[in-house]
Amino acid sequence: MKISRDDVVYIARLAKLRFSDEEIAKLTGEFENILGHFQSIDRMDLENVNADVINKGQESVFRDDVNTVFPDRKKLFRNAGSMRGTYIQVPRVLE
Amino acid sequence: MSSGFMSIGEIVRGVTGGKYSAAEITEMYIEKIKAADNTIGAFLAVCDESAVDQAKAIDEKIRSGKRPGKLAGVPVAVKDNICTDGIKTTCASRMLENFIPPYNATVVEKLLDEDAVIIGKTNMDEFAMGSSTENSAFRKTKNPRDITRVPGGSSGGSAAAVAAGMVPAALGSDTGGSIRQPAAFCGIVGLKPTYGLVSRYGLIAFASSLDQIGPLSRTVEDSALMLEVIQGMDEKDSTSYRGEYQKDYAESLGRDIKGLKIGVIKEYFTEGLDSEIASSVNESIRHFESLGAEVDEVSLPAAGDGLSAYYIISSAEASSNLARYDGIRYGYRAKDYADIDELMEKSRSEAFGAEVKRRIMLGTFALSSGYYDAYYNRAQKYRKLLKSQLAGVFEKYDLLLGPTSPVLPFRIGERSDDPLKMYLADIYTIIVNLAGLPAISVPCGRSREGLPVGLQLIGPHYSERTILQAAYALEQELKLEL
Repeated sequence: MKISRDDVVYIARLAKLRFSDEEIAKLTGEFENILGHFQSIDRMDLENVNADVINKGQESVFRDDVNTVFPDRKKLFRNAGSMRGTYIQVPRVLE
Repeated sequence: MSSGFMSIGEIVRGVTGGKYSAAEITEMYIEKIKAADNTIGAFLAVCDESAVDQAKAIDEKIRSGKRPGKLAGVPVAVKDNICTDGIKTTCASRMLENFIPPYNATVVEKLLDEDAVIIGKTNMDEFAMGSSTENSAFRKTKNPRDITRVPGGSSGGSAAAVAAGMVPAALGSDTGGSIRQPAAFCGIVGLKPTYGLVSRYGLIAFASSLDQIGPLSRTVEDSALMLEVIQGMDEKDSTSYRGEYQKDYAESLGRDIKGLKIGVIKEYFTEGLDSEIASSVNESIRHFESLGAEVDEVSLPAAGDGLSAYYIISSAEASSNLARYDGIRYGYRAKDYADIDELMEKSRSEAFGAEVKRRIMLGTFALSSGYYDAYYNRAQKYRKLLKSQLAGVFEKYDLLLGPTSPVLPFRIGERSDDPLKMYLADIYTIIVNLAGLPAISVPCGRSREGLPVGLQLIGPHYSERTILQAAYALEQELKLEL
């Protein structure tokens, strides 16, 4: 499969990643190689397989949506970059 | 106290019988880590103080006459993608370099409930993506059997720690072979349980439909004991198995395997399999026959084609799971940014390593408009086909057998520049995850150079007892000195 530099740049934008020109060139080649291998899946006869059928005996699991209080608030917030009062302070996300 | 290998049973009997204290055991293993880990590099964190405190509490519990747990005083190492309350859990990534979970994974709670001692966190491929542990952002782990070679991956730190005798047992995670392949490379036992048997709550997600936690140990019996402790229904994991759990894995070892029907997967013995691995596995097949098992060759046509489907599905799930690392709420945050998009892009690009970015890109591609049907949908159909072929095979056979890895442990750096070549190292292990089956890797021989060879036994869902019995029978028959 032919992969262009523009394809890689487009996918990177969707994935929220940035690459240098050199990295994009390298990724383009690697992608072509890996996706070429992935095309082996095209050779398989999967015409009559329905992936949407749920296996016998399998069922979805539900639970009630119950509020619980985390026992230790200090612990809970220890990975937040910074706090203001009882709020987690994050960078501005709205323009 | 023996300075050589001690089994879990030996440690528990010694600690509960008063022969030695849990604190002495823990201190002994900390010394072993200090002596060996500068060379091996298996650990990302050693919890020397908290481990000794924990061990002292176990000693106190025993002294006060309370019933000790099933793993009383057994030091266990935990892969660094499994959350440990108050202990950094980094996934070997710059993204989570400073992440300290506010809670324990269910498996860690279960270990603590049975009085195991959490001795440290082990190195891995970043976010469990890799087959050599070379993708860690922090250090390279070496194979204790030959330090010029990789320990396998992604649970390479756990496997190396066990193989070097720095811990009696460890936890790993297996998304496409990440317990079994490093176990094979390091000459130890690694068990990937049935999907759902062991809770994934607190396991940092890579590919949620494939991920599973399991034990690594020196002996089959120790893996059986570990599984008894870590398995169980968990309300916090919606994929947790809700049926009956077998509780006697260790007790049922040693039973006769006469009449056990084993199918040897034909598609695994083709081009690409190292000849020394093939000959060790064939030798083990003869041992199984002499033990009374009925061994036949079986064809599983889909088995040879799983790699593409595996990498499409796992990368797609990874691209979705890792979208949460945005630099906003926790994890690495880039210093300079003009707006929210730049903040996210720079944080992710600066903190993720090359392989993680490659997988996110592959997954994003496979899920993107225009390619979804050609890749993701076809991969899901393949998965369905594979499951139905396996179900057919398991109507006739109790277990399937094959090599764990097509190659012997390779040299550090040998495959790191060629991602596709690295992906091919997983070719025999991935079908197990795609179908949610249990499988074990057990040492079955050595190459001329002395490198370990692993044999894989695969069973139908929830057949861990049979798998462990067969692996145990082979282990006892071979009596390998690794």
